Amino acid sequence: MNHLLRRLFPAIAIWLIILPTLSGCWDNKDINHRALPIAMGIAKREGIYVVILQIPEPGLGATKIRIVQQTGTTINEIVDRMSKNMESQVDLLHLKVVLFEASFAEVGVHDIVETFMRAHALSPNTMAAICDEPIDTFFHNIEFYNKNNGTVLINFFEKNAGWNPHIAADRIWELYRSMRSYTRDTVVPIIRSGKGTVIESRGSAVIRNGRFVERLSSDETLLINVFNGISARGKIEVMDHATVQIIGTSIRRRSFIQNGRPILTVSVTLKGSLVETRGQPTIDQIKKEIDEQLTVRFEGMLRKLQKENADILGTGQLFRTKYNRVELSHWRTDYFPQLRIDIKFNSIIQNTGNLKAQAQ
Amino acid sequence: MVKNAQVISMYWLTHIGLIFFLYPADIIESTGAGHWIPILVGYSIHVVVLYVYLKGLRLADGHSLPDILAMAGRHAAAVLLAPVFIYLTLVLIITARAYGEIINLLYLENTPLWATIALLLGIAAYVASLGLESMMRTGLLLFGLCLPFAVFVLASSFQNADWHYFLPVMDERSSSFSFLTAQPFLKSLFAFGGGFLFLGFVQPRLHYHHRKLLLSSLVLLPLFLISVYVPILTFGQNTASTFLFPFLMATDTVDIDYLIFERTTLFFMLSMIVFVIIFLALVLWKTTIIAGRFAKIPIKPFTAVWALVLWLASLQLKDWQNVEELLGWNTYFRLYIMFVIPFITLALGYRHARSKRGDQTYESPS
Repeated sequence: MNHLLRRLFPAIAIWLIILPTLSGCWDNKDINHRALPIAMGIAKREGIYVVILQIPEPGLGATKIRIVQQTGTTINEIVDRMSKNMESQVDLLHLKVVLFEASFAEVGVHDIVETFMRAHALSPNTMAAICDEPIDTFFHNIEFYNKNNGTVLINFFEKNAGWNPHIAADRIWELYRSMRSYTRDTVVPIIRSGKGTVIESRGSAVIRNGRFVERLSSDETLLINVFNGISARGKIEVMDHATVQIIGTSIRRRSFIQNGRPILTVSVTLKGSLVETRGQPTIDQIKKEIDEQLTVRFEGMLRKLQKENADILGTGQLFRTKYNRVELSHWRTDYFPQLRIDIKFNSIIQNTGNLKAQAQ
Repeated sequence: MVKNAQVISMYWLTHIGLIFFLYPADIIESTGAGHWIPILVGYSIHVVVLYVYLKGLRLADGHSLPDILAMAGRHAAAVLLAPVFIYLTLVLIITARAYGEIINLLYLENTPLWATIALLLGIAAYVASLGLESMMRTGLLLFGLCLPFAVFVLASSFQNADWHYFLPVMDERSSSFSFLTAQPFLKSLFAFGGGFLFLGFVQPRLHYHHRKLLLSSLVLLPLFLISVYVPILTFGQNTASTFLFPFLMATDTVDIDYLIFERTTLFFMLSMIVFVIIFLALVLWKTTIIAGRFAKIPIKPFTAVWALVLWLASLQLKDWQNVEELLGWNTYFRLYIMFVIPFITLALGYRHARSKRGDQTYESPS
């Protein structure tokens, strides 16, 4: 017995010593004393940040949404001040969407994104978006039109909920990567509050080095998603003859340098299903029109991007073996504007829906 | 006793605990492209050193390392073991401090640093005081428990990989091996040099097949590659080089809908920290063994007091800069551990084997 006690004593002593540390209870705050915002809006006006948080407050019956607004010189200071003024502590761990006001994004979100990545306060998987109207108006409107539903903004971007292939998807870590990368810029969706629907998509923003430099339409965004292989079931309007739903895409890309000029040949095979026709177009006619229309649209977009030196297609990635790192660091300015992309769309109408194709 | 599973799992676990935190950042810093070259160089050094060390141990009839060094004479052994002792002590201080900081950074923001370090060293000291056999059994058990999480996270960490970042395969800096003498590469060797020494300490109480152990080191190679290439493929060299813990950042970007937990990284890090605690226990135990050879001390009280001293020492480091500096100084001792000790073991092993063959009456001093 005595022997056993002597053996157990150190174990018990150590257990007693480490027990308080194991719980991590220093300044611990219970979950019901934490406010867990799901969306954050950030604007910068006259050098001062304006932050709005959308905080769901579970109550009896329905979840209420609370909108908290605060200004300050740094994000952390603002969040701290909000915590100070609220009865619970603000915890950004479950933040799902960060909205940047368009005018702020044009100046550059560089510092904010770096802060987010450094502080580890919010998940790097948080969605980033740009708000095309003053954020206070936006949050006021979505609250007004959509009482008691805090998830509308999240669902809008959720791949298995409201997301649509015409909308770009971008996360904070991708934004951070694009700020540092030599060869890759990124697109961020643009939204504003709508009338009938709560949120209205307004295409997407081209972000180069953390700055909003160019706008793309929804159709162009779809093309980018197709190019990057995330086009799941997007719909293409063909002139005024038909609507085709994309079922699958496959892309072959080949890069080479000719007379010092980077050239990329791309062939996109697009499998589609016919979902709507107007008039009496033949399948061949539809196919030809899809190919022509997408080529023209792609080339228009490429010109726009080359003017802004913003390589959102990540084409520089394909030249990593052709240029060394020093040359790649000038990719955006020296090579991308000269880049020629020979793109060829080859669409296959895999089926025509429940109806037979027009008899010839 | 032949305990292959225990020794091999301990060998894996101590290395895995070290690989995924600081190692990727050092390798990413050491070259701009072709990271597989420094990884392979480090790994080959590890295997060669391991081979030489095991060969030496085998020739010396499976005596423990302090016994083998004692064959060179009592004073020579003291001179040879002193740097080992200093190295292991520095490793304890650095590891306790660095991982205490990591725990604070990742989970326990509000907990003071002294508490997390006390937690690490306290548990390690307790495990170490229970002796070799229970330490090895604990290692095997924890390895089995944590393995599924680790494998799942490693597999899912490729979710955001863009394989173009693998290119270019090499550049001038990596193919000319100019990284070899640079500080980041030398620092990265701690992941290779920290763990293998214990193989000489567990003998003769635990036996293991040297060939199997050497073969088992092959498992570590893909882990070294994954720890560096996952962040590179996810972020690209330029972005990955801005992170303090690139691998953890890369796993943080993994987004799996069907999991209840949003961040798989947390489980992974918990396993890694458990591994590090076992690593600390093992190193602590090694220092008590060395100290016990030169002074008659009661092992258990000494372990407790020694842990207290280490705890105070690790709190003396002012900031992360200090930790990095200390890690830099420790490089010299690490090179000694990696190159001098194994070859001396081999030399003494040869002498032992020859004298045994030549002169049957020769008795090795114990």
